[in-house]
Amino acid sequence: MTFLGLSAKNALRNRFRTVLTVLGVAIAVLAFVMLRTVVWAYNVGVEAAAPDRIVTRHKVTFVMQLPKRYIDTIRQEPGVTVATWANWFGGKDPKHDREFFSTLAVDPETYFQVYTDVAVAPADLAAFKENRRGAIVGDVIAKKFGWKVGDKVSLKSPIFPGDWEFAISGIYTATRKSVDRSTFLFHWNYLNEGMAARQRDQIGWVVAKVSNPARTADMSLAIDRKFDERDTQTLSQSEGAFNASFLGMFTAVLKAIDVVSIVIIGIMMLILGNTIAMGARERTQEYGALRAIGFLPRHLAVFVLGESFTIGVLGGTVGLLLSYPIVQLGMGRFLEENMGSFFPYFRISPGNALLAMLLAVGMSLVAAGIPAWNVTRLRVVDALRRVA
Amino acid sequence: MSESTMVRVRGLSKIYERGGEQLKVLSGLDLDLAEGTFEALMGPSGSGKSTLLNIIAGLDRPSSGTVEVKGEDISRLSESALATWRSRTLGFIFQSYNLMPVLTALENVELPLLLTKLGGAERKKRAEIALRIVGLEQRMDHYPRQLSGGQEQRVAIARAIVNDPAIIVADEPTGDLDRQSADDILTLLEKLAKDMNKTILMVTHDPVAADRATKVHRLDKGALSS
Ligand SMILES: Nc1ncnc2c1ncn2[C@@H]1O[C@H](COP(=O)(O)OP(=O)(O)OP(=O)(O)O)[C@@H](O)[C@H]1O
Ligand SMILES: [Mg+2]
Repeated sequence: MTFLGLSAKNALRNRFRTVLTVLGVAIAVLAFVMLRTVVWAYNVGVEAAAPDRIVTRHKVTFVMQLPKRYIDTIRQEPGVTVATWANWFGGKDPKHDREFFSTLAVDPETYFQVYTDVAVAPADLAAFKENRRGAIVGDVIAKKFGWKVGDKVSLKSPIFPGDWEFAISGIYTATRKSVDRSTFLFHWNYLNEGMAARQRDQIGWVVAKVSNPARTADMSLAIDRKFDERDTQTLSQSEGAFNASFLGMFTAVLKAIDVVSIVIIGIMMLILGNTIAMGARERTQEYGALRAIGFLPRHLAVFVLGESFTIGVLGGTVGLLLSYPIVQLGMGRFLEENMGSFFPYFRISPGNALLAMLLAVGMSLVAAGIPAWNVTRLRVVDALRRVA
Repeated sequence: MSESTMVRVRGLSKIYERGGEQLKVLSGLDLDLAEGTFEALMGPSGSGKSTLLNIIAGLDRPSSGTVEVKGEDISRLSESALATWRSRTLGFIFQSYNLMPVLTALENVELPLLLTKLGGAERKKRAEIALRIVGLEQRMDHYPRQLSGGQEQRVAIARAIVNDPAIIVADEPTGDLDRQSADDILTLLEKLAKDMNKTILMVTHDPVAADRATKVHRLDKGALSS
């Protein structure tokens, strides 16, 4: 028998109340992990962005297009090793018309030279380049829709009318967390040729790979300056900044989520503090007896803190054990499959798991602070007089 | 002071203040307890028996007067020094036993030894001996709720003697017990005084219990008579 063993036993004394409190802490930890993971996963797209890529788009909005010849100007810029372009197609599979995924018309020759973090088997890539109606799709969407190499897929687009027929040439995987594994890539030429003559040769944006990542800011300015005097001006940004501006409209929501996650921890602390205070009050006479026997005020404080610590550790552990199946396997898989462009990588980060555990344990000690302080100031005679 | 005086109380007063009013509970009383005697303290409810017992036990402080135990004036000790002093010198027996419900009989008896430097095995051995003295060696692994009131009080007595104190204070130790269990407890206290030379001060309302003591002190209106 030890001091801590005794306080752990005290914590388990009122089973029902302890189970409820542990569950309360566990649910708070689960909610905290869930919310923090949303914020974290949102930021993965920004933080995990390639440092050596510059995205150039229309100065006004990325919905407006650029003349195709701009790509040549950008390629001539010193420091640019390779550049490619893409158009937003907005395609949907009529068979799965509730499912959202990104569809991009790309240049088969250069796209994968710029996006070296999008991995395709060389044979599949070669087959894709050969087939004007070929498509490369992400492994997550392929698995979800049951697409295999060789399958025929027909997409519709609200922007570009008609039926667009494709054949899957290959499936890509990602080597970087920021890559959306649910994108549908096809030949830009196929799209361009399918349009009315005066709408042709327009591109959505240009992505350039640069030799020196430290110079992305300078080079972005240099590129934009080149187009200053032309009819269409541009805005160039590092990929991280581009992703951030794309997600930027959600920053207020993210802030709110952060605040809520802290509020939840606060509520947890109050619940825990209340349980501990109730227990300590009920045991006043017992504590009086311990003091009479010779235990010191600080021993009693250790009992109270140890009791809370036990509940904090139990609650934190149960909360994390619940978080992995619910947040990571349930929510995470759903979001990666259905909202891959927002949440390409939705997992519980070790940092967030650790933070949740530390907060559960730390807050349990803070919550027990006042009851522990009170118990040290107990007058032995008064405590003994109190009839249980 | 004679060699065998264990506790020597002189001119002890205790005044409580409540809402500006003064309540004089003990007024300048003297008391001597000889080593190895079993003495009882009687008196009407509210006469200050518990107050006197608590002051002698170092749980409360007198308003004036001195309490010497083994020649040492305990009112000079600081709070934490008093706690240590209690753990070495005193054993407590309460009316409502005050055992820890989450601990077995053996663990409850071991509890005061957590404050010593003794190792786990030694603590356990001493707790077993104490339980044997009170006749509960068969119930070591029982929890308080699995014991009768009389058995619980015997566990409490084992806890009170486990650190081999010179003095045992008991505030109505038989108050919650039936006649038979009360008699068993009193026999045990007698034995502790006679065989183990403990000085025992017991507060009681029960004349039958008081009869078992070697000496009876009566407290009334703040003063003692024998
Ligand atoms: N902390 C306190 N503040 C004010 N008055 C107190 C305090 N503690 C005790 N008293 C008063 O002191 C008097 C003596 O109390 P005490 O508990 O010593 O009596 P007692 O003889 O043990 O009575 P009982 O037989 O009912 O246990 C009572 O009138 C009580 O109300
Ligand atoms: Mg009393």
